[in-house]
Amino acid sequence: MPSQPSLNWSAIASVACVLGLGCPIGSTQAAERPVSFVNDVVPVLTKAGCNMGTCHAKAGGGQNGFQLSLLGFEPAEDFEHIVLEARGRRLFFANPDKSLLLLKAAGQVPHRGGVRLPVSSPGYAAVREWIRQGVPQDAANSPKLIGIEVDPKKGSLRRQATQQLKVTARYSDGSMRDVTDMALFESNDKALADVTESGLVKVLDLPGKVSVMVRYQTCVAVFNAAIPLGAPVPTLPPEKNFVDAAVFANLKDLGIPPSPVCDDATFLRRVTLDIAGRLPTEEEAKAFLADKSADKRDKWIDELLQSPDYADFFAGKWTALLKNRRDDESDTVSNFAFHAWVRDSLLSNKPYDQFVRELLAATGTVIGNPPVAWYKRVKEPKEQLEDVAQLFLGVRMQCAQCHHHPFERWSQDDYYSLAAFFSQVGRKPSGTRGEDLIFHKRGMATATNMKTRVALKPAAFGDSMLAIAPDEDPRLKLADWMKSPKNPFFAKVLVNRYWKHFFQRGLIEPEDDIRDSNPPSNPELLAALEKHFIDSKFDMKELVRVITRSNAYQLSSTPNKDNIGDRQNYSRYYPRRLSAEVMLDSIDQLASTQTDFPNLPAGTRAVALPDNSYNRTSPFLRVFGRPEGQSVCECERVQSSSLAQSLHMINAADIRAKLAHANGRAQNLANDPRPAEAKIKELYLVAFAREPRPEELSAALGYLNEPRMNAAGQKVDAQKAARENFQDLLWAMMTTKEFLFNH
Amino acid sequence: MGATLNCRGPIPFGATGRRAFLQTGLAGFASLSLPGILKLQQAKAAAGNANSEKKAVIMVWQPGGLSHVDSYDPKPEAGSDYSGPFKPIATKVNGLRFTELMPKQAALADKMVVLRSMRLTAGGHPAGSMQLLTGDPDTRDKPKPKYPDWMAVTNYMLAQKGPRQNPLPAYVGINPPLEYNGPAYLGDTYSPFVLSGDPNAPTFTVPNIGLTDADEVNRIGRRSTLRQKLDTLDRSFDHARELGALDDFESQAMGLLTSPQTKIAFDLNREPARVRDRYGRNAWGQQLLLARRLVEAGVDVLTTSLSGPLCGRVNNWDDHAVNHHVFDAMKFRSPVYDQAVSALIEDIYARGLDKRVLVVVTGEFGRTPKINYAASTGAGDASAPAGTSQPGRDHWPRGFSNIWAGGGIETGRFIGATDKRGEDSIERVSWAGDFLATIYHHLGIGYAKTFIKDFNGRPTPIVDHGKAIPELTS
Repeated sequence: MPSQPSLNWSAIASVACVLGLGCPIGSTQAAERPVSFVNDVVPVLTKAGCNMGTCHAKAGGGQNGFQLSLLGFEPAEDFEHIVLEARGRRLFFANPDKSLLLLKAAGQVPHRGGVRLPVSSPGYAAVREWIRQGVPQDAANSPKLIGIEVDPKKGSLRRQATQQLKVTARYSDGSMRDVTDMALFESNDKALADVTESGLVKVLDLPGKVSVMVRYQTCVAVFNAAIPLGAPVPTLPPEKNFVDAAVFANLKDLGIPPSPVCDDATFLRRVTLDIAGRLPTEEEAKAFLADKSADKRDKWIDELLQSPDYADFFAGKWTALLKNRRDDESDTVSNFAFHAWVRDSLLSNKPYDQFVRELLAATGTVIGNPPVAWYKRVKEPKEQLEDVAQLFLGVRMQCAQCHHHPFERWSQDDYYSLAAFFSQVGRKPSGTRGEDLIFHKRGMATATNMKTRVALKPAAFGDSMLAIAPDEDPRLKLADWMKSPKNPFFAKVLVNRYWKHFFQRGLIEPEDDIRDSNPPSNPELLAALEKHFIDSKFDMKELVRVITRSNAYQLSSTPNKDNIGDRQNYSRYYPRRLSAEVMLDSIDQLASTQTDFPNLPAGTRAVALPDNSYNRTSPFLRVFGRPEGQSVCECERVQSSSLAQSLHMINAADIRAKLAHANGRAQNLANDPRPAEAKIKELYLVAFAREPRPEELSAALGYLNEPRMNAAGQKVDAQKAARENFQDLLWAMMTTKEFLFNH
Repeated sequence: MGATLNCRGPIPFGATGRRAFLQTGLAGFASLSLPGILKLQQAKAAAGNANSEKKAVIMVWQPGGLSHVDSYDPKPEAGSDYSGPFKPIATKVNGLRFTELMPKQAALADKMVVLRSMRLTAGGHPAGSMQLLTGDPDTRDKPKPKYPDWMAVTNYMLAQKGPRQNPLPAYVGINPPLEYNGPAYLGDTYSPFVLSGDPNAPTFTVPNIGLTDADEVNRIGRRSTLRQKLDTLDRSFDHARELGALDDFESQAMGLLTSPQTKIAFDLNREPARVRDRYGRNAWGQQLLLARRLVEAGVDVLTTSLSGPLCGRVNNWDDHAVNHHVFDAMKFRSPVYDQAVSALIEDIYARGLDKRVLVVVTGEFGRTPKINYAASTGAGDASAPAGTSQPGRDHWPRGFSNIWAGGGIETGRFIGATDKRGEDSIERVSWAGDFLATIYHHLGIGYAKTFIKDFNGRPTPIVDHGKAIPELTS
């Protein structure tokens, strides 16, 4: 490997509690212990919620002119606001109880925030005592908080059990203090366990892994709990690879028996939807079901990965996240070029690190070098660093622009140091309207911390780079840093994102929010996937292959009596509604129709659309939640149901037109001389990749054969009836859950 | 599942309830985005609310912005550069004057509150609309809103409470404002059920409701029965009740499409002729009548925009001199406007809806009190001949008026004031946050403590700075 900046990975990987606090405690050893503003008062205000976003946090504006730093991250500023500002009207030394600060907090005068500190509370007493002592300011050499510990750190808890957490703060003078009462607690999955304000964890009914984030001042600690179900796990499916080993070991630990491996039809439909974003064709279904070879599933996965459908489908996923958005007609050229670049990269299986590097360090014009288009969408260095951090590193830095990250160690310095990598991105007009030429502007890369006004050199999450010469593009250094096998973020976020694509739930949730306080549900599995991905030289198809070949992926979605409550450990497949594009394509496939998109060749599938502009002309895509490329988060895609969707399926013009299309499947089947059974069988193979069960066959036959009368009581013309009956049958099938869901 | 577990969803700050969530019916598939337990907490919190009677809001929108000094906040002493030609007239409320363009509302002023001190900071239609309807402080015009508007937020909050009992949608827009507002990160699920067109036209029909063709109704029913038979997917996995939620929406959709009850709710022909006449036999009048009818039938949020030809040449209230002769345009549209709005307010009280339903009439800003001039293009209605210099008023967010009625508020008063020329709100200045908080307060939504996560997972308050305006709350 070429010369690399020396990286301090260990500092990154350890739970740190850094941010030095500004102004600590008085050192007098008088008989009475002086109250420390930083260590005694601010935590009270934080615990009482005074400095929350909507209350008096400055980040939120500060209600009624009283501003505190968010969650007490800046005690020096808070001291000023409380003691000095508003002509000292918030404190009343002669009679501390009459201080506005306490009167308001205790609700003794009208306070929109209600009673935050009852007069009898220890918090009230602490603040009161601090005022009584004449608001001592902490001395420079006074003890500083250097870390917190939670006890226990982890545990195995039975369902319905409780566990009290104890939080201890460590100070620079070696002293320790129990701060349980002043710490903040938050469960990462409230369906599994809840935690009270005083740190009592209450486990609910569901088995799984849960963690409780503990915050005190700027420090964060985590309690991890396993909640076993404890059911016998007599048999496990065979282990096909390391994925199975890790998933099944976890299930065994938790005592959650998995569902069996699914049948061929279910597998075929599932994997084709997940890799290629389409239904298997009738011919594919027939051939697959008839194939007797033992490795037919593996072979089919390989076939899908070789197909352009894979590239189309994943290009749609990536271009939305990369904000390939048409705001103006003039975006058309660059959007097509960018989409084609992403698609080609996927089709040729360009290694992921190379893909990201080409994007991140793009220079030139869109025509010569399409990834430049990303810099058109994402213009400001702030936005660039935020998107890169969230998408490729799984770190949400947005918070740290204005204040210390509330659940993380990231400070504003970290934010602006990351911004510095993008400080030398130059642009000038190219020959084409609306398209900039992107180049590296010679010079020393720095970015100025908005708050301290200090100019910072490029550093990635605390890892400073060796000096970057003015001629070097700092973005290349960032790309180097990312792809290092020791980088704790880069591979992790990608494998987690892809895991979620296939399993509906990330090992870390949300998939792009990786932090110490948000641990993975199966750390061994995540680590193994990461290693496999890095060892494969960032081979994306190999990642898909190893995931989909596993029996864990191929489990049935039908729960057994024990794993019905599992929504986290992959003891069964978790069904999910098809995405808007896939659903539209699937309906077209079933109806033998096409959706026309403006200025695209006939037959273009919805998954292959280059940008969001088609949402305007296709109400279907809009109503069913195709993203607009506004956000770097996959959560912009909505796969929940709505009234509008149901109305659309029942009555919208486009659906009706597809069903009634003159060359559509319904019309063709109505004219088809084959016996009805054969036609129903065809429909089932197309829609569900399986043959109808006897009761389904008889229900469908009954429908087709039932004599029909119109409202006036006359017999409906036989041809019309046949046509409509097939339309109805198609409609009934495409609105079943089996069709709408990947299961 | 929980595919979007942490991407959005109100964060509970309130009481904790739990457990029974497995059996609880959830509102939507959106239920997935949030563990059922949170919903249950909210439902409990909502149930514990004293104001548990379901409230509704009708927002009548003046797209482009109504000239406040030519309507509700006349400034006859401001001088000829400012005062328009319209004379102030007395209203039913002592000391409150409107211009002569609003005689019917003047006669009804005891049934409304005029808020004369709205203030925003955005000068463009997009940013102004986004400020007022979403609370976004940004002054720049953006193509799409960053935050959800109060209507989508309300729709979302209602959906969290559980399956909807009423067959009508919670949020309906009759030619609604849609261009510069929307559900943002809540997703299109929370967009309005939209009716468009002229409800006064004899050919007016509402798509997707009350199918009239008996054969078609039969067919939809018949094929739904078939679907039930074929819908054989094993449902035991449906722990989060997403399939159940889909069923709920489907039956609601079927209800809308086929039930006579919903058809009746949308059918203006069932209104007595004199009522239809009272509102005005034109698009605006019938829009507001339909609004009242739908809210009466159970819609919770209704928005309707007064736009189109009744506005004059450019189809909205954007009375720049290049667009409209502002005074001719105001004269042109005011009779229809005054009649429709006064009819709605009168009707709300006459039908006893005045506690449940809050009516607010507003645009995204007012118009420049100082008159300016430009050459007319001469086209369309209410325009001077081509080339004539004609008066206009530009965008004016610094001070403008809106009117409020119903909602159980104490009416017959006016609050806030602008300065002597109508340029700046100077008394009881009300910002977008106050406007939003007032509406949420009426709807029983705890605006001070409700956060919804945006795409980045940042808990975003539904009102960032703002308090319900005391005079506009009951």
